[in-house]
Amino acid sequence: MSSVLDVVLSSAFLAAVLRVATPYLLAALGGLVAERAGISNIALEGQMLAAACTGALVAGYSHSVALGALSGITVAMLLGLLLAALRLELGADAIIAGIGLNLLASGATAYAVYTLLDDKGGTTGLRSGTLPTVTLPGIESIPVLGDVLSGQNMITWLAFLAAPFVAWLFFRTRFGFHLRAVGEMPDAAASVGIAARRVQYAGLALSGALAGLAGVFLSMGYVSFFVRDMTAGRGFIALAAVFLGGLRPWGVFLAALGFGAAEALAVQLGTLDVPPQLVSTIPYAMTLVALALYAWRRKRRGAGEVAAVSL
Amino acid sequence: MNESWHTAGPAVAARAVTKTYGNGVRAVRGVDLEVPPGEIRAVVGENGAGKSTLMKLFYGLEQPSSGEILIGGRPRVLRGPSSAIALGVGMVHQNLMLVPSFTVAQNVVLGVEPGRRGLVDPRAAVETTARLAEESGLAVDPRARVDEVSVGMRQRTEILKALHRQAKVLILDEPTAVLTPQETEDLFAAVRRLRDGGMTVLFISHKLREVREISDTVSVMRAGALVGTVATADATEHSLAAMMVGRDLILDVDRTPAQTSEVTLSVRDLAYTAPVGQSLHGLDFDVAAGEIVGVAGIEGNGQSELAEILAGLRRPTAGTIRVGGTDTAGLDVAGHRRAGIGYVPEDRLHNGAALDESIADNLVVDRHDRPPLARRGILHPKAVRAHAERLISDYAIRTPDPSVPVRALSGGNLQKVVVARELSAGPRLLIASQITRGVDIGAMRFMYERLVAARDAGAAVLLISADLTELLALSDRLLVLRDGRLVARFDDTTGLTEKRVGLYMLGVEQHDREHLTTGLGEIS
Amino acid sequence: MTATLIESEDRREYRTTRRRDLAVDLSMTLATILAALAIGFLVMLATGKDPIAAYEALLTGPMERSFRVGRWLEDATTLTLLGLSVAIPFRARQISLGAESQVYAGALAAAVVAILLPLPPVVAVIVPLVAAAAAGAGMGFVPGAMKARLGANEIVATLMLNAIVVRVYDYLVNGPLRQTGSSAVHSERIHPDSALTPLTDWFGIPLGRSNIGLGLMLLTAVALWLLITRTPLGYRIRMTGSNPDFAEYGGIRVPRAIEWSFVIGGAVAGLAGAHLVLGVYGRLEPGMAGSLAFEGIVVALLARNNPLVVVVAGLFYSYLRAGGDIMEQQTDVGTEIVVVIQAVIVLLVTAQALPDLLKRRLARKQVGAR
Repeated sequence: MSSVLDVVLSSAFLAAVLRVATPYLLAALGGLVAERAGISNIALEGQMLAAACTGALVAGYSHSVALGALSGITVAMLLGLLLAALRLELGADAIIAGIGLNLLASGATAYAVYTLLDDKGGTTGLRSGTLPTVTLPGIESIPVLGDVLSGQNMITWLAFLAAPFVAWLFFRTRFGFHLRAVGEMPDAAASVGIAARRVQYAGLALSGALAGLAGVFLSMGYVSFFVRDMTAGRGFIALAAVFLGGLRPWGVFLAALGFGAAEALAVQLGTLDVPPQLVSTIPYAMTLVALALYAWRRKRRGAGEVAAVSL
Repeated sequence: MNESWHTAGPAVAARAVTKTYGNGVRAVRGVDLEVPPGEIRAVVGENGAGKSTLMKLFYGLEQPSSGEILIGGRPRVLRGPSSAIALGVGMVHQNLMLVPSFTVAQNVVLGVEPGRRGLVDPRAAVETTARLAEESGLAVDPRARVDEVSVGMRQRTEILKALHRQAKVLILDEPTAVLTPQETEDLFAAVRRLRDGGMTVLFISHKLREVREISDTVSVMRAGALVGTVATADATEHSLAAMMVGRDLILDVDRTPAQTSEVTLSVRDLAYTAPVGQSLHGLDFDVAAGEIVGVAGIEGNGQSELAEILAGLRRPTAGTIRVGGTDTAGLDVAGHRRAGIGYVPEDRLHNGAALDESIADNLVVDRHDRPPLARRGILHPKAVRAHAERLISDYAIRTPDPSVPVRALSGGNLQKVVVARELSAGPRLLIASQITRGVDIGAMRFMYERLVAARDAGAAVLLISADLTELLALSDRLLVLRDGRLVARFDDTTGLTEKRVGLYMLGVEQHDREHLTTGLGEIS
Repeated sequence: MTATLIESEDRREYRTTRRRDLAVDLSMTLATILAALAIGFLVMLATGKDPIAAYEALLTGPMERSFRVGRWLEDATTLTLLGLSVAIPFRARQISLGAESQVYAGALAAAVVAILLPLPPVVAVIVPLVAAAAAGAGMGFVPGAMKARLGANEIVATLMLNAIVVRVYDYLVNGPLRQTGSSAVHSERIHPDSALTPLTDWFGIPLGRSNIGLGLMLLTAVALWLLITRTPLGYRIRMTGSNPDFAEYGGIRVPRAIEWSFVIGGAVAGLAGAHLVLGVYGRLEPGMAGSLAFEGIVVALLARNNPLVVVVAGLFYSYLRAGGDIMEQQTDVGTEIVVVIQAVIVLLVTAQALPDLLKRRLARKQVGAR
């Protein structure tokens, strides 16, 4: 047992948590923005995948990591806008359209990689490079914290800044006010002259961009290649974090961090005698229980009252 | 923003305004109305008299079919609320348009937030709200979340929202419906102060006592038309009630005196605490087999809650309900139906039908699991279809085929589907709620005949309606519901006039408890 | 007399409009598929491929050899079962994404019984099938009960359950159930008596791994169609999905109907898992359901949740999948283009305003022509 504790308390493990949690944080915050704008973004998974693939391919061919990352984010953003257009202009169900977009991303990325590189697995044959790491001057001298933070990828830093950014956006900016108003009470927003659609398009674009950043991290953060279906369901887990976090930026932050920590733990415990797959089910089981408890509590509190958020 | 106002002319006016909805309902007919600046104008009328539609026209939520709307002395085309807001019109809706998770201050400034470069200055929002509240006397807590404050404060927030947008005209749509007496007092004081500051107020209500208390002049609407405008000082509650109630159209119903037998429905001491909506307090009444008992009242005084409790869709908080010897208070909906209760719901589109399903399927929801339609777990489509064809011909439902989805039917035909289902079950007690709402004259007459026929066949009928003419034409006895309480009981409806019932509905008069409960036996 | 005349005229007109609407629906579906194929065509063209050769392989390839037909049918069996499994909760308007957890639960149950329990012939097939259906139903019951009794969001619940079951499955296949002494990761083989008879044995021509599970799938589709159209429970599920307020008003216990829709769907997905174990692989393999669970959703959507149409849609989709593999072998076009085509179909189908727009325009034209 003490060996488990040793692992959990090591700075290497904490650093791993930050690394593993990065895509969850970004995608979950992206999902949060869309959810609060009133359109569920179940296409997070596809947006991440498309961004990861585009990023690696563009970086590999242009030899510019920055251009690759930007292209990846742009593609994810466009997918967000496409989801918004399908929902708002063509009356599509956001969930079904999201499933369609996930399928599209899965097919299109694999097709592109195979067509360009004649490789079924991914872009390992292409040297696309990684995004730079950031080390704050002087931080390495701080005990423990220095080891944890130094050498983290710039996107990890961005992921941890994303939570305060989204909180700031929601609660301090005019756009955030309008976004939340449109998502929560469209009639109230319309009655004071807010252009609901424009706000929702912008929200979904931002949502896609955050998911795109998460995707770019997967293919350009620690590895420098794209692997087919490399998101491996992270987008769906991020979506669960959105709800588990109670649709609040810091709540979502903690939920996503929890998923990341559990996954990192599962990897670490793989070296010990505990089956990593079983350890990694813990956060999902906890989410399931939390979901049931939350619903039960809400049901007891008042059947007649209309809840502001539908969990 | 408001420079284009003529200072001399009326603040708002309507000229020969008519509004006909897409489905042919004419909600407002040729209304001419002028409201001078700095006046509190009450607009009163029964439900469906067109007051709300007229206000929506002033606020740009609807556009007139003909005629014109004047704001600030000039004719205007209002494309939406934002153009009305820009012209200085503010409206406080009956169902408040606030974002629940926002604070009071955030709601007040929503859409025109203070702050620079896309940021919202929360302190400025709070200060602005506090200042507006101070000036207008509308006390609010700017930092409190809207979903955690009282309904009264939410309403004050809505008014502040309009003030923050520099409204010169304020429309209040039944503002006191949700307020306590003290909150009403405070609201009135604030409204008077606003008037003294030059605000024009349009006050929609059907509570005549309040109208007399707050307004300078009163305009009365009936059936979409403006009946008249009088100075409040010259009006009495009686004279206003007389102008409000009544319908020109007279429908004669052939109806012999009721042949009542034993009591079918007994309600004793029924109480219901509503999370939202109207609560019910200590209701006692009987309905006997073979009679139609009408329930009159301005809408929203507990009729819907009463109907849904009797049908099993809501659980009463206290009291007993017996239907033909069965205590139904603890039963589920299916149990209520087994006890012989039929229910024509007030909003057939909400829960009276599944619009995308066929007529045949809509006709069997209460009997789909028993013979002759289903045997040993198998539902027989042929039997369902035959059942539908029989009811279609019995109830003269106009449709080419039982497989037509009910969405395709007209209002009257859809209502016939609902009524056919509920009556063909042979109910012991029928609760009929707004049975002729939105149906044409032909279907209306048909419904009346069927109700009387059901009564004559021995059903106890509880008829709930917002239409007094209808109630008086059909009811053998009549009850009046106000604020969730029974306030009148007429055991003989012959010679009873709408005006007289109107006085009870509007709270001018009231029967004493003894009169209301005479002859109600104990139930075991 | 005149009334009946008008009525019969009405009836005739109704039949024409219904025929027209049906024709519009059908041609819309065809147009959707054609549009998606056209987009695939353009993508191939844009990526410098030969789309004509590719489509030839895609569309005729699966029929060219009998074992290819077998591969198509084997895939269609699983896919259609999964499509059927979500069509039932969809009918109750429940967005259940839990087919993945249910199919793996079913596969595990079938495998455990078929590997560990020695049973006499015939029974050796039936018991694992029942076990799989029960396991899938149980997996459906969890989110179903959470939704029906507590009001918990079924999308999140099913996604979480998927994540859990997939990991547990992975652990079991890599751990306790892994065949000892084998270098590849998979379980022991099932008892031969438990295998679903291959169609090859029946028809005498090589039909790959396709098996009598195909018949089982067809039976299931018919049974579900009967359930939806010919049973009180099916009626309750339909009304609950169409208007839950109406269902409640009519005395239907809406939570029970919702629960049942999840349980039935789960049982069918469990059968799909059994088909993979008893019919296709003969053992447990890692990730054996692939992306079929999500593609089942697509199939159900395309079929508008009508069980009989799900069969057609499932056969069609699997045909594309099978054709895609052949296309990849014969030309240099990746099979993934098929997934793109499928995705485009989903997006076009969910854009509900499109057919309505078209119908309205058509109706207007007809009025104009009169």
